[in-house]
Amino acid sequence: MSVFIVETDKAGLQKFYEEIIGKFETYAPVEKFDKYDYKKVSNLSECNPDSPIETTMSLKPLFFPKTAKIMKFQEDSSGTTLSETDEDPLAGSRVILGVKHCDARGLQVLDQVYNWDYIDTDYQKRRINTVIVSTRCDKAGNQCFCTSLDYDVENSDAHDVRIVNGLDGKIYIQGVTEKGEKLIKSSSIQQPASDGAKDELSKHYKAFDASFRLKMNYTEVNAKLQKLFDSPEFETVSSNCISCNTCAFICPTCHCFKISDEKIKDTGVRYKSYDSCNNGYFTLMAGGHNPRPVKYRRWRQRSLHKFVYYKERFGMNLCVGCGHCAISCPVNISIFDVVNQVSKIMQ
Amino acid sequence: MDHSKQIQDIASKLFAENKIDYFVGYRQNAIDDSQVPYLISDPAEIPRLVFTDRSVFNLANYLKPEHTRRKRVGLVVKGCDSRALNLMLTESQVKRENVYIIGICCEGVLNEKGEKAQNCIECVMPDAVVYDEMIGTPTGKREYIVNADIKELATIALEKRADYFEDIFSNCIRCNACRHSCPLCYCAKCCIDQETSTLYHGANTSSGAMHALMTWSLHLAGRCVDCRNCEKACPSHLPLHLLHKQNESVIYENFQQHLAGMEKDDRGAFYKYSLSDPDDFIL
Amino acid sequence: METEVKEAQGKIISAENPDIVAPADWQPVIMGILCNWCSYAGSDLTGTSRIQYPPNIRIIRVPCSSRVDPWFIIKSLQTTADGVLISGCHPGDCHYISGNYFARRRFLVTKKLLNFVGYHENRVQFSWVSAAEGPKFAKVVAKVTEDIKKLGPLHRYKKENF
Repeated sequence: MSVFIVETDKAGLQKFYEEIIGKFETYAPVEKFDKYDYKKVSNLSECNPDSPIETTMSLKPLFFPKTAKIMKFQEDSSGTTLSETDEDPLAGSRVILGVKHCDARGLQVLDQVYNWDYIDTDYQKRRINTVIVSTRCDKAGNQCFCTSLDYDVENSDAHDVRIVNGLDGKIYIQGVTEKGEKLIKSSSIQQPASDGAKDELSKHYKAFDASFRLKMNYTEVNAKLQKLFDSPEFETVSSNCISCNTCAFICPTCHCFKISDEKIKDTGVRYKSYDSCNNGYFTLMAGGHNPRPVKYRRWRQRSLHKFVYYKERFGMNLCVGCGHCAISCPVNISIFDVVNQVSKIMQ
Repeated sequence: MDHSKQIQDIASKLFAENKIDYFVGYRQNAIDDSQVPYLISDPAEIPRLVFTDRSVFNLANYLKPEHTRRKRVGLVVKGCDSRALNLMLTESQVKRENVYIIGICCEGVLNEKGEKAQNCIECVMPDAVVYDEMIGTPTGKREYIVNADIKELATIALEKRADYFEDIFSNCIRCNACRHSCPLCYCAKCCIDQETSTLYHGANTSSGAMHALMTWSLHLAGRCVDCRNCEKACPSHLPLHLLHKQNESVIYENFQQHLAGMEKDDRGAFYKYSLSDPDDFIL
Repeated sequence: METEVKEAQGKIISAENPDIVAPADWQPVIMGILCNWCSYAGSDLTGTSRIQYPPNIRIIRVPCSSRVDPWFIIKSLQTTADGVLISGCHPGDCHYISGNYFARRRFLVTKKLLNFVGYHENRVQFSWVSAAEGPKFAKVVAKVTEDIKKLGPLHRYKKENF
């Protein structure tokens, strides 16, 4: 891993951002309806790279869009002809500013499934052509628990450039990958960091780590959940769930989708859009059988998929600890509470 | 407004007399002063029940078969919630003998910012209209106020308004949280989810969202009680009340000042008609 | 909520989106949803009486005007139609006794809501045409076509890339 660090101050960081926006196609959190969404920006004043984590939506739609055309079809007397969509997933390269560490980790988790038996070329293209500039949070949010999971938040390599607001007032810009290093070198911020920079970074991380309200023992939870498929506790924790699907749609790692056809006369397009395992129809089969008709079974699937099955298959946890599901949930169910409450029954 | 003590007393009485299987109330959220719907079947959990001005969620939603099918339920309802419950009773979704209703004379609940919620300021019926037991002093029906946002939007130019709504619809992620959080959306299979129909518009484009939200709001027109569960559930924070309030104001103005769920056996504005309904828009 | 219709020299400008301009000989597509017992028979009479009316209307037959769910209208406007005309029996003449009274309530709310979210109020129109009113049907279609020609093509919320 690269250790290329430059230091600057607030004005320098603004300049760094402005240079990026001037040079590349840039996406950054833009406020809309009291929440931040990653949108294309042409000016630093219209976005806020330091948006609070509680109100920022996930990065997922930029890589796995909420709806995408898969193919076109046309019917005539000779039969049905299929054709590629003319939509280009990503024309050139782009830079995303103000990404949170958990969101960037979410992409690393999604890479596993998109590189598995079927290689999703659109996703790969978007991934390769994107440089991710992330800002480390200074303080954990109310529902955050990223440090409790199976990845190293401090030395995460999920993003290309990391920006840390040092406790000493300086701002450190760290190139984590080659892409990131190139981006920093192309800018005018070139003052190499002093020798104390590394200490300063770890000091900042310690302060950040200490601000967490939620902590859990991941290995223990993971080991216990493996044996808890039949736990009656799932019924208790999901009792007030209204199966609204919000958690899956805004989750940075959920990747289920549905297929739908849109047709006018003899021409049509096949779309792929988000879906959620909390939806009652999600597992409905053609014959009418539904293996998960009640919500506690769906919750069991959701929590075990996130904390057990995905780990078994890909060696990574499907939850990144961003806490967005709990923030957006109309009845405040947190996946953190669910797995903890369920795994405690063994004690 | 703090009725926690009374609600706890009533709940323990109901469990002791074996009148209910479930009690639906609110409990304090662990981390902030917001509250969470709380379903209990064990009398030992009664001390966690609370009711204050942060009890915003409409609990009538939990009478859907998905949650409490064929169970006897005791639940707490505010004015707007009781109107929704009234409609559910009229539309035969719940059996009256299966619910024990604790009505509240509501003084208005707070929004996330700690101010009185907009729908409470414009509330027409703060007291529960259907109940077995009433808590608080009834203040009676209030005058209907046309929503301020509607009035403002009606004055701006058509193109601007169209842009504004297109922006709303393009921000929709079609998670259908609005539908699932609505106590009156109880259909076993929703029309906007019928994948076999050629009318189905499954893609998550702005036209798909427009189709789904407009259809949804028109199917709720004359039945919506303005509890704003949908708006609280929306992860994209879309101002969904605009569609419902627009329909409500048209219905109030034109159809004998109809307001949904106010009276027993009232099935909503579209289930009845009058010979003198406005006809001037028809060629 | 009346909006003035902009007119340019020899061109038709869309009422909802002034950036969209159509040539002067542009012809709208109008979706006509007619009730089986009165308006459809009325349109038949127009044809058999050899009365001319604009060919822009595409007719769908439904059992009763109250069969029209609001989403038929929305879906039509999202696909090919530039306007919608819905027609049923006169009040009191409904084959199913009271279907059109129920429909009348729904139409008013639907029309107002569509106008509220940014469709011109003349995009969706309603009429009562009985089976004996052949000339009236021709007049109604002519009026609706004329109205929608003035409004220009509808581009908002059209399904993309077909």
